[in-house]
Amino acid sequence: MRTQITELFGLHVYTDRAVYVGNVDDVVIDVDGKKIDSLAVGNLNPEIGDLKGYKGIRIPFRIVKSIGDIVLIRHIAGVFRSSQKDE
Amino acid sequence: MSKIFCRALAKKKVMSNDGMLIGTIKNIMVDLGTGQVVDLIVKPDESFKPDGYRTDGDKMFVPFEAVKDIKDYIVVDRYLLKKSS
Repeated sequence: MRTQITELFGLHVYTDRAVYVGNVDDVVIDVDGKKIDSLAVGNLNPEIGDLKGYKGIRIPFRIVKSIGDIVLIRHIAGVFRSSQKDE
Repeated sequence: MSKIFCRALAKKKVMSNDGMLIGTIKNIMVDLGTGQVVDLIVKPDESFKPDGYRTDGDKMFVPFEAVKDIKDYIVVDRYLLKKSS
């Protein structure tokens, strides 16, 4: 599926355990590799964990599962805190 | 090594490796399934004739394979420009 990159700006980012992460602020592209490197996510959900005062995080594109009306990323236990206890 | 924020690309000029001004970048086409950057969408400069290139209305598609480097300008290879992907 081909999309203009500006369509991604402002999309909400959720993990596959339905935890809200933030909004897409920018996209980092790897010029040599000719691919998307990561998504710069801002407006972070303060509940997801220890953010140490960061205003944004970069989500590597390899943990992105799907992009449609929202961005769905893999839930990584220990990085994202969810409402349910991680086993 | 060379990673760049997309918002930093806005309004950057596209130039060929033989020094010809091609136009201004408008947008980037990506394949979300693979994460590949497919094309740059360029608004051709008035001095540039986009005949023979892939165009859509007043926009021109530049395959990302043609991109040599991105610093102050986006430098593209003249010979790879016309290649359709």
